[in-house]
Amino acid sequence: MSAQPTALQKSQSGVSKAPLKVVSGQTPAASPSGANLDEIAPELSGLLRVLTCGSVDDGKSTLIGRLLWDATDLYDDQRETLERGKRVDGGNPDFSLLMDGLVAEREQGITIDIAWRYFDTATRRIVVIDSPGHEQYTRNMASGASHADVAILLIDARHGIKTQTRRHAAILDLVGVKRVILVVNKMDLVDWSESTFRKIEADFETFSWRFGFWETTVIPTAAVSGDNVAAASAHMPWYSGPTLLEHLESLPSRVTEPTGPFRFPVQTVLRDSRNDFRGLAGTVSGGSVRVGETVVDALSQRKAKILRISTMDGDLDTASQGQAVAIQLDTDIDVARGAVLSKGDMPPLAARVLEARMVWLSETAYDPRGSYLLRTATDLTPVSNLKISALLDLETLETHEADACATNDIAIGTIALGRTAAIDTFTEAPETGSFVLVDAITGGSVAGGVITAAKAEAAEADENTFVLTRAMLERGLNSDLGDSPQADAEFRRRANEVALILRAAGINVEIENAPDYSI
Amino acid sequence: MTQQISHLDLLEAESIHIFREAAAQFRKPVLLYSIGKDSTVLLHLARKAFWPARLPFPLLHIDTGWKFRDMIAFRDKTVRDFDLDLIVHTNEDGREKGINPLDYSPSVYTDVMKTVPLKQALDKYAFDAAFGGARRDEEASRAKERVFSFRAEGHRWDPRRQRPEMWRLLNGRLGAGESVRVFPLSNWTERDVWRYILREKLDVVPLYFAAERPTIVRNGQLIMQDDDRLTLKPGEEVVNRRVRFRTLGCYPLTAAVESDAADMESVVAETLGARTSERQGRLIDHDQVGAMEKKKQEGYF
Repeated sequence: MSAQPTALQKSQSGVSKAPLKVVSGQTPAASPSGANLDEIAPELSGLLRVLTCGSVDDGKSTLIGRLLWDATDLYDDQRETLERGKRVDGGNPDFSLLMDGLVAEREQGITIDIAWRYFDTATRRIVVIDSPGHEQYTRNMASGASHADVAILLIDARHGIKTQTRRHAAILDLVGVKRVILVVNKMDLVDWSESTFRKIEADFETFSWRFGFWETTVIPTAAVSGDNVAAASAHMPWYSGPTLLEHLESLPSRVTEPTGPFRFPVQTVLRDSRNDFRGLAGTVSGGSVRVGETVVDALSQRKAKILRISTMDGDLDTASQGQAVAIQLDTDIDVARGAVLSKGDMPPLAARVLEARMVWLSETAYDPRGSYLLRTATDLTPVSNLKISALLDLETLETHEADACATNDIAIGTIALGRTAAIDTFTEAPETGSFVLVDAITGGSVAGGVITAAKAEAAEADENTFVLTRAMLERGLNSDLGDSPQADAEFRRRANEVALILRAAGINVEIENAPDYSI
Repeated sequence: MTQQISHLDLLEAESIHIFREAAAQFRKPVLLYSIGKDSTVLLHLARKAFWPARLPFPLLHIDTGWKFRDMIAFRDKTVRDFDLDLIVHTNEDGREKGINPLDYSPSVYTDVMKTVPLKQALDKYAFDAAFGGARRDEEASRAKERVFSFRAEGHRWDPRRQRPEMWRLLNGRLGAGESVRVFPLSNWTERDVWRYILREKLDVVPLYFAAERPTIVRNGQLIMQDDDRLTLKPGEEVVNRRVRFRTLGCYPLTAAVESDAADMESVVAETLGARTSERQGRLIDHDQVGAMEKKKQEGYF
């Protein structure tokens, strides 16, 4: 597939070819009546989120800075900042200054946290998520990767594949990135050697086969001089593939067609007494649904038909993945935040015990007696037991038995829940199959993970488990609550908090699942 | 079968999702309304997120007393038209002491009349979440922001202690004394904001459109004389110029640009062809190196 050059690509002189050039303070080139808005303000056909990752000093910030410099309409003040700034390698501006924003980062010359940059080609919005290379900040890289449609994995041509390359590839796989661009950078420092490039390409293949990547593209670049970034390199005639920019423009855009089974995690219930409106607000997280179709609440098994799909701009016939809508049902089944609607043929799992792969984000190590909460799409469930069973060895990419884990570890574990939750496996439905583990005391996000398997029953009957029943809670703690969805949400919140306090006191606790899924 | 969904549709849906997550997770949210174009888009998205119900939270305007008169008129009309609850808060202590943008440095003025009253109002009403219109494309330290931006006690932002955000999952669980700023426009750019205003046919403050306005040149910038508090320095002269504003704040600190763009189409055309970033006209950002980063650490939104 040959990629089209972007309309915003610069000529050699660096002069923009954008259709309009208006300097603030001057008369616009187009008269008000003659302004052709389809040309000036076209809506772009979708988004592509691109992660950049790799180890320290392999030139990520420089690569993206160079891409912005060559391929986009940088503002004059940004361009001047670079031109006035210090010079690096052969008199080129320090392109990384476009990316590293924090004072602390400039002082240390490293990227601590992910930075988001936005630029438009002729047809689409490209969002660059620049992630830190330093091992100490792997958790921030994982966080950035989870938002990406495609990842640029950078390698310094002089050093080849490193542990950090494997670590990052494993994290990309874990969070569900399916397309990888392996950029072999600093080719100028290895005399533009094809054999060096081919060796790295082969080395990557020897381990990446075990991951679930759909597509890996390997591109040799020199970011500082711009070789194969936005313009083809004259130094590497042996390379006939696309430049980085061409490749980015040829990739499919962020989800524009529904995939997988229909899922609708309910965020909140909207009510308007003026017109007797009761709608379930949420974002379709997979598949699509049509007015008249029957939907099922995964936990209560109650069914209803879709009466209306409402938005402020009018009703819709269908709602597809990614759309935020309000769904009205024909019968008033009592579902609240945390419920997941499906069409019933491939329903989510009503699960009490999950098998998961996760990346440990917290600087505090896993504590077998800690209090954790599981945040899934729109639900927050107390964890009654979290057990780590194995860790991924980043040298061999094999898993080894373990019962502890700490910052930046990739672990396999079992999560027993204090009550049943509606979830999916990650491969089945990514949005309802991923989670963040929350420290119940500090509120911090301690791990991010994906669900690989689930079962409905509790792990093993434990005689010491205390069951917190609805009746028990209604007697005193919740006696002030009425009978409304808001009250139900508050009931559930209080039940969760009691369970957490008991758990912190060392008591295993379960919350009774009320038949109407109120808890 | 492939549906072409525009990038604005994707951004809109994401913002609505964020509004609903925050409203469901926080005890008492508020929308920081500063009347400008970003606030206009923010409010429109909020109305979409909860339609047909009323907004489940009020608007908060931190009034420094130095906003353009057109802005205040627009604010009050918006509140009437959309049946909104508005809280206006001013740092009375600062006003009594006469802290103003003419005699004090931008950093002192911003701290006393914007950052301090924001914290005062959030504490006074015990808001635990505040929606803001900040975008990651605005400025280098903003490029690192989270959608749920955690603030420690005293509303301090610490870039090293940000919570990771994975996938679409937003963790709103707060520790004692913590609050959060929520940024539904995180992934929008200035161009998207204007494209969206055009597409949705939203009303904006008339100051965004070119008109003859009384202006002076001060420190190389065009400053509008909105009332008689802006006294002239030697050599300064009020001249009617055809100007408009790319960004709106306190009138002595917000520079105008000469322009003929008098309707929405030409404003969008001019914005999309602009050669300088929008915050160049914001004097408070250029006070010192890392100015925004420092202000954020102190609790600026």
